[in-house]
Parts: sequence; structure tokens; C-alpha cells
Amino acid sequence: MDNWRRTLRSIWAICWKDVKIYYAKGPIVVMGVLFPFFLWLAFQIGRGLEVKEGIAPLIAITAFFTSSAVTPIILPWETRQRTLEMLLARPITITRILIGDILASMLFGLSFSFLPVLYGLLLGIVPNNLGTLLGLLVLATLEFSTLGVLFSAMPTDVPADVVMISSAVKLPLIFVSGTFMPLNRLPEIMRCIALFSPLTYVTDLIRGLYGGGNYFPCILDISVTALYTGVFVLLTVKLHKITVIRRLQLK
Amino acid sequence: MYAVEAVNLYKRFGDIVAVDHVSFAVKKGEVFGLLGPNGAGKTTTIRMLTGVLKPDDGTAKIMGIDVHEEPIKAKSLIGVVPEEANPYPDLTVRDNLTLVGMLYGLTQGDIEERIRGLLKVLDLYKARSRKARTLSKGMRQRLLIAMALISEPQVLFLDEPTSGLDVISARKIRDLIRSLAKAGVTVLLTTHNIEEAGAICDRVAIINKGHIVALGNPDELKIKTSKHMYLLALFNKPLKEEELAHYLGPYEYRVNGRKLSVICEDPGDVVERLLSYVKSSGVKMISIQTSQPSFEEVFLRLVRR
Ligand SMILES: Nc1ncnc2c1ncn2[C@@H]1O[C@H](COP(=O)(O)OP(=O)(O)O)[C@@H](O)[C@H]1O
Ligand SMILES: [Mg+2]
Repeated sequence: MDNWRRTLRSIWAICWKDVKIYYAKGPIVVMGVLFPFFLWLAFQIGRGLEVKEGIAPLIAITAFFTSSAVTPIILPWETRQRTLEMLLARPITITRILIGDILASMLFGLSFSFLPVLYGLLLGIVPNNLGTLLGLLVLATLEFSTLGVLFSAMPTDVPADVVMISSAVKLPLIFVSGTFMPLNRLPEIMRCIALFSPLTYVTDLIRGLYGGGNYFPCILDISVTALYTGVFVLLTVKLHKITVIRRLQLK
Repeated sequence: MYAVEAVNLYKRFGDIVAVDHVSFAVKKGEVFGLLGPNGAGKTTTIRMLTGVLKPDDGTAKIMGIDVHEEPIKAKSLIGVVPEEANPYPDLTVRDNLTLVGMLYGLTQGDIEERIRGLLKVLDLYKARSRKARTLSKGMRQRLLIAMALISEPQVLFLDEPTSGLDVISARKIRDLIRSLAKAGVTVLLTTHNIEEAGAICDRVAIINKGHIVALGNPDELKIKTSKHMYLLALFNKPLKEEELAHYLGPYEYRVNGRKLSVICEDPGDVVERLLSYVKSSGVKMISIQTSQPSFEEVFLRLVRR
């Protein structure tokens, strides 16, 4: 077989294993899927919004939560279970392992993000450019999956540690990223913080695509999202290369 | 060309030098053992040879390929059973094997065929649909070996393959290693069990504190120190050490209650000295014997240096 085929197959192996093992676990699905949904529902009902206004934030937080639900725990879990070294000794590199993990997470995130999109379509709520929306969702799930993997770079074998830290970052992000409240209605100080959140730009673009009015120009939303994605990818690979050695020593 | 070549491997973790310029070469088809106590640097050496850890200095080669320059190429030639590793507990035996096959880039057809063979050889056929978490320790170890063999490797690395196993499971694994070697697979294993190294290895490197202190076949290692004899004597009363020291001054010896062991080249001289001791102290000597040092004693002597 050609080299690149072997490479793809080994990355696919990681992805296949992740889906079989991690994405079949009940609590993870609940935390990653039901939690954002009910959070959204609470806001939706609480503020008496119409579905049309709510679809964009629902898609954004679904993409955000589902993509970053599982990736933070994979490596700590594999360290704890002593399966990691079994992978590292095979013809694969840490970078390729991370790519496989991110790919699995994207598949998971994308399939759940399509649900609210479909729901909208059934109700006749159509984005003004479906292609752009799908492209953005691919980019956004890549960004958020990588962010999840980035959290797991801390060299621990206790998955709960990483879950705690990632939740401590993820939850506040929802409130400062203009998801439930569009940016132009946020207080000045929150809007400044929002500038730093990767979720802001994804949400803004989706809202725009559903006719809710962009705060930033489209092109800026896409560029910043791409930039964040690039930074996350580089940082993740770099940090994991360092910490994987320390993982081997954890007993 | 050697199957495995370690040239000047060096690795430190903070202040600890785990492996200190270790060199050796393993010939094709050989069973080579790295023998040493805990913390000697065996696992770190294996990790550098299998591309898991990058050495700080020196080179590791598999079939002439530099492991750290061409990791994927070198790693495709080897199978590895890491120390205290586990298969994925939530995957079945079959899925664990499939996963590893895919990691090597094998086609589904090849994977299926090889799994069939391996399940039989390793006596796992009945367990093929069980999740790995339900396997006994011996079965789990056999699964790990099957996972290491699915790529039909030219070189097999086993880090402490029998540690923690019951006698029968350990025996099965040793037999398997010998039969793999017969089939032409080069095997590099680590162990802290001297008998095991003596029984299955063609050559052994004894490693301590990151250094190789001796290298040779198990018999040779015994011969090297065989000008030393062990003299063992049993007395009717516990021995008085100060008085004994007066007579056995120049020798290396150990007292254990009524038992005495002396390392010497000339047992006759020791016997004469002991007789003088017996006369002056009034104890009686009940038995005396000499022996060649066992492999274990050789090991302890080398390691203590
Ligand atoms: N990843 C690591 N980080 C820090 N120290 C390590 C690491 N791996 C091994 N060591 C240290 O290196 C030394 C050799 O360890 P190791 O190679 O595991 O020995 P062995 O396998 O012979 O028992 C030990 O002192 C151990 O504590
Ligand atoms: Mg070890």
C-alpha cells in the first residue's frame, strides 16, 4: 500500500477507536449534548424568544459543546488505563494521534450540529447561504475540538482534572460570546471581553447567516476563526509533544 | 547488518541519568535479554529503541534504519509489548487486534486473516468476542503479544513479559518466545528474573544504574567469574563475628546465624583457617561444601560493583 494510504489508515484507526470507546459512553453524551440543549431552552423560554431568533445560538453552542466534550479526557484516560504507550510504539506519531482524536471529535460535533440546522429547515428557517454555514461548521468544530485537545495537554492521568478546567473556561465563554444576547446588546465591558472569545466570531457569523445581523463583517468572523484554529492546532501539537513524555512516567 | 543496534544511548530525566551511554547489538534471529534490577534503565532503553522516547545522545537502529530519523519506517518493522501496558479494556479481543492492524496500515483482508491465525496460536479463540477488561492477566498478556505480532514484525520487543504472571502463564509465554525465535523473529526482552534470562536468552546484557556491566551468553557469564568458588559451611552454634573476622580477614564472606558462605579462589586455605577457628572457639563444624556460583550470584556480584 502507498505510504499516504497507510498514514490515513493509521489516523483513521485512532478515530475509529475513539468513536467505539469514548463516544459510546452515556455520561459524556449527556454532558456534551443535553446540557447545552437545556441551557439554551432555559434562555429561550425565559426570554420568550421565537424559534427563528434562537436557532443561531443553538447551533453555535451545540457545535461548541459537542466538539469539546470528549477530546479533553482522551489522553488522561489513556494514560490512566495504560494504553497510550501501546499506541506510541506503533508506526504513528503523537501528531497523528492528535489528528485522529480531533477528527473523531469533529464527526461527533458535526453530526449533532446538523440537528438544529435540520430542525430549522423543517420549520422553514433557512440560512441565506447553506454552503457557508456548512463550511463554517466544519471549521468551527475543528477549532473547538482542538481546543478540547489543548486542555488535555496538562500531564495528568485524572480525567476529572481536565474536565474541571475545561468547564471552568467553557461555561463563562457562553455568556461573554454574544450567544444568548447579541453583541450589540451586551454591556461595553462584556463586549471587550467577547473580542477574545473564539466562540464570539462563530456565533456572530451564524447569526448573520440566519438574518439576525452581523456585528462584525463576515470576512473578519471567518479570518479570526481560522486564525484561532491555526493557533490552537500549533499550540496543541507543541504542548503535547512535551507533556507526552511526562505521561509515560505517571503510574 | 544487525537487527537492533544501540549506540551510546543516553537519557536523563532531570538529575537522574536513566541510561548512561549504553551500546549493544542484537543479531538477527537472536533472543537477547536485558537483565537488571528495578530502576536499572531497561524500560528507558526499550523506549528509545522503539521510538517512544527520543535519546538525549546516541542512536538507535532497527535493521539499519535510524529510529529517530525515520520513525514510521523503523516502527513498521517491529512489534512491541510495553511494560505494564493494557489492551483497550472496552474493546473486544478482536477489535483490539483490528485497531493495531489498522495502525500498521494493513488492509481489512490481511487483518482478518492474521487475527484468525493469532487467536489460535495464542489460545484466545474462545475469548475473541470478550471485552479485554474481562480477561485474566495471562490472557491479557497473550493478547498484548498477539497485538505485537499482527504486523508480522521482524523484531519483537517485550518489556518484562512474564512479570506478575502465574507460573503456568509465564511458561506458556516463554515457550512462545522460543518458538518465535525458531521461526526467525529477533526478540529483545527485559527481565529482572535471572532464571528466565538464563533459560530463554541466547545472550544477556546485565544492566545496572544505566550501565551495562556484563554482556555474553548466560554460560559465558558464569564462566567469567568461575575462578571464584563458593564455600558453604554449617556450624552447631551461631558464629561470633569478631572472632571469625580475625581468621577470615582477607576473604569476602557472609554470616547468617550458624551458616557461613565464603567467596574464594582457593577453598583449601579457607578450610585450614576455619579449622583454626573451630579449635579456638569450641564450635563444631557440621557440614562443608563448595559450589560454582549460580547465575543469580554472578548477577549480584556484577551489580554490586
Ligand atoms: N519518564 C520519566 N521521567 C522521569 N524519570 C524517569 C522516567 N522514566 C524513567 N525514569 C527514571 O529513570 C530510571 C530508570 O527507569 P527505568 O528505565 O524504568 O528502569 P527499569 O525498567 O530498569 O526498572 C529510574 O530512576 C526512573 O525513576
Ligand atoms: Mg522497567
